[in-house]
Amino acid sequence: MSSGQFETRQIGNVRLHVCPSTKFKTTMLVAMFQQELSTKYVTQTALLSNVLLRGTEQYPTMLDLKKKQNDLYGAGLFGDVFKRGERQILHFGVDIANEKYLHDASPLLEEAVGLLCEVITKPALEQDVFMKSYVEAEKRNRKQQIEGLVDDKIQYAAQRSIEEMCKNEPYAIFINGQVEDLPVIQADNLYTYYQELLYHCPLDLYCVGDVDIQKVVSLFEKYLPSEMFTSERNQLNPPQTTQSVQQVKTVVERLPVNQGKLNMGCRTHITVQDSDYPALLMYNGILGGFPHSKMFMNVREKASLAYYASSRLESHKGIMHIQSGIEIQNFEKAVTIIKEQMEVMRQGQVSDQELEQTKATLSNQFREQQDRAYEIVQSHYHSVLSGTNRPLEQILKEISQVSKEDVQKVAQKIQLDTIYFLRDQGGEADEKN
Amino acid sequence: MKKIEYKQLKETLYHETLPNGLDVYVLPKQGFAKTYATFTTKYGSIDNTFQVPGKDKVHVPDGIAHFLEHKMFEQESGEDVFQSFSRQGASANAFTSFTRTSYLFSCTDQVENNLTTLLNYVQSPYFTDENVEKEKGIIGQEIRMYDDNADWRVYFGLIEALYQNHPVKIDIAGTVESISKITKETLYTCYNTFYHPSNMLLFVIGAVDPGRIFQLVKENQGQKKFEPQGEIKRFFDKEPDVVAEKRKEMRLSVNAPKCYFGFKEAPTTVGVSGDDMLKLELTTQLFMESLVGSSSELYQSLYDEGLIDDSFGHDYSIEQGYGFTMMGGDTRKPDELVSRIEELFPQKVKKGISAEEFELVKKKKIGSVLRSLNSVEWIANQFTSYRFHESDLFQMIPTLEAITLEDVNKRMREHIDFARFAVSTVRPLD
Repeated sequence: MSSGQFETRQIGNVRLHVCPSTKFKTTMLVAMFQQELSTKYVTQTALLSNVLLRGTEQYPTMLDLKKKQNDLYGAGLFGDVFKRGERQILHFGVDIANEKYLHDASPLLEEAVGLLCEVITKPALEQDVFMKSYVEAEKRNRKQQIEGLVDDKIQYAAQRSIEEMCKNEPYAIFINGQVEDLPVIQADNLYTYYQELLYHCPLDLYCVGDVDIQKVVSLFEKYLPSEMFTSERNQLNPPQTTQSVQQVKTVVERLPVNQGKLNMGCRTHITVQDSDYPALLMYNGILGGFPHSKMFMNVREKASLAYYASSRLESHKGIMHIQSGIEIQNFEKAVTIIKEQMEVMRQGQVSDQELEQTKATLSNQFREQQDRAYEIVQSHYHSVLSGTNRPLEQILKEISQVSKEDVQKVAQKIQLDTIYFLRDQGGEADEKN
Repeated sequence: MKKIEYKQLKETLYHETLPNGLDVYVLPKQGFAKTYATFTTKYGSIDNTFQVPGKDKVHVPDGIAHFLEHKMFEQESGEDVFQSFSRQGASANAFTSFTRTSYLFSCTDQVENNLTTLLNYVQSPYFTDENVEKEKGIIGQEIRMYDDNADWRVYFGLIEALYQNHPVKIDIAGTVESISKITKETLYTCYNTFYHPSNMLLFVIGAVDPGRIFQLVKENQGQKKFEPQGEIKRFFDKEPDVVAEKRKEMRLSVNAPKCYFGFKEAPTTVGVSGDDMLKLELTTQLFMESLVGSSSELYQSLYDEGLIDDSFGHDYSIEQGYGFTMMGGDTRKPDELVSRIEELFPQKVKKGISAEEFELVKKKKIGSVLRSLNSVEWIANQFTSYRFHESDLFQMIPTLEAITLEDVNKRMREHIDFARFAVSTVRPLD
């Protein structure tokens, strides 16, 4: 995908990407570890994002760590996991004030690199493994977080529809982990896993801010152990993207809800690596990416069925997700309208206006990403993961060249795979096939 | 056009009040690709009873400010204004809060066309019986979505528990029942009252030349006629000192309980504006951060006791007429959490915040203001909100620097009063 003006330095087996920019008043540093998305690792990786933020060698308690952050003008320290295709990404970052804007502060960049590296590589230990009390507390929190998915019905329905659609594919795995793994995770085996991840999973470091590249390089070299750079890092498998749909699955699930959540999962058979990816972006934009899109116009504005009705892409796995919140009895009506919209696109019914509006709004989205440090990083990281680099100017050019015929060709490749509906507990018995 | 420089922040703001009363602010942001503009009226969900000079006092249905926001996108041409913004490559939206309704766009191209579109559509309402009816289905689904949203329910539940009379306790979107009473006539009444330029503020920030923006806005506004309007009177029932309900309980389809609690401000506190309001807000935020922020001893104890997790946070809202603190998050044991709060807060109030704690939270707050200043959306929205209170967003850092330990301890003692304390809990279904 598009990238900001990054300069990449290979330091041993680790990549450092720096985007010098004067437009931000803070400096952002991020470390991204890639892991295979697998039931073997998913819970441990997710748990590390919590345990490493509990305390370090120098700042052994969360309170010590928070005080240090406050002392650095509230350096924002974060850690989490997210999904890209069939990879699980564990990332940690820090966002710190640039001292140019402060009255009496000493240079903060070195402090920030030091703090991030401390969190990643020097956790608080007892008997050479993680602190047992931290691991146990974070297992409880993790359990609550995993089970808490159902508290957000929109997220819950999205995850459940993926699980139904991608049964037996790693993509179905819930990124926050699995409750059943927690009892076997202990301070010692989690620490062993952590060492493996630290030294052998692919690692990318990022820095965005008003910085000197060479300075950033030398700071990371100073604060990360040298074995981090010299150890061999694994090659991960690309995601499976070839599944063809035999029959559309319909799954209805019941919970005590007021509003029905309709999710439809489609296989696009196109990923960010393909040459027709820009045409897929256009297809998704015309169907459901914007307020001028077919879904918004037909499901919301014409039929008054929904407040939200949209589609979005997962560009590494090549999946398109459609989602809408509707009155329960309008399930059939909404599905019919959405299928009709996909059908008219297969027949090439896209107006000049739709094409031009989508080109304009899609290009705007790409250009706007350049104004947020975290989005600049994420956008560049897509290209690292896919091995396909489309700089901003190139993706804008490719979008501008997409024709209606290109969009129609994409439309003909797309297959609806699963219709998932979360509804209330009244009415007819469950229907499933 | 007046030029205001903020040297420490390296920002320059341009301002002018136009003859029709519209306040216009422009902030050029070097290096940004994007321009963001908000056109905001000082009119939100709480403004449900009002009067303009020479007219009758009016009481309108709950949720009408938000309904009106939805209907502004409709145009006489029959085309939704989203279509025009999309043609011009802009991403457009709007939102309604308790006290404001804001129309906005962001774009990286055709700034002047998009700005013209923004000014024109917000200043040309087009409501028909038919398009008003159609919206009831859409907003009905928006309300249903929030009904299922446990975080929203627990948040709003606390406001309902804190307030007896003030309309802040009414949901911004209203109810399916209340919006069924909305007609095009009531919409026009609200529109004509609150969308007068003298009640509005335009903020443009990003890749812009201030001279050209002012020229465009002045020409655009010069072509339109607005009759002068006197001051809008807003009526609010008297709010008693005590809370409506000490404990508000709900059951929803959730896995673990969610618990929010907070204190409402005393009637004497909520009348301030200008610099006093900014100082009040920042002083409250600083003591809250010292008391229950993630670097406080209290947070650590509750975390170690397994009563809170990292979803626990705190927030402060202050407007003319109401104000409250709010704390909470997910918890396995809401009742135990609340009893610990009732036990630990008085202890901390008695002991006071130390000089060391104070210096650290102050630094944290200064850093977080700088981080927020990276966001053009934050600047535009917050600037507008402060301006409506006659205070200045860009005075935040100097005001913070001037706050003393004594101010913060005094504010904490005055705010933490369990007579004005309420709890809202959402628990799983049986």
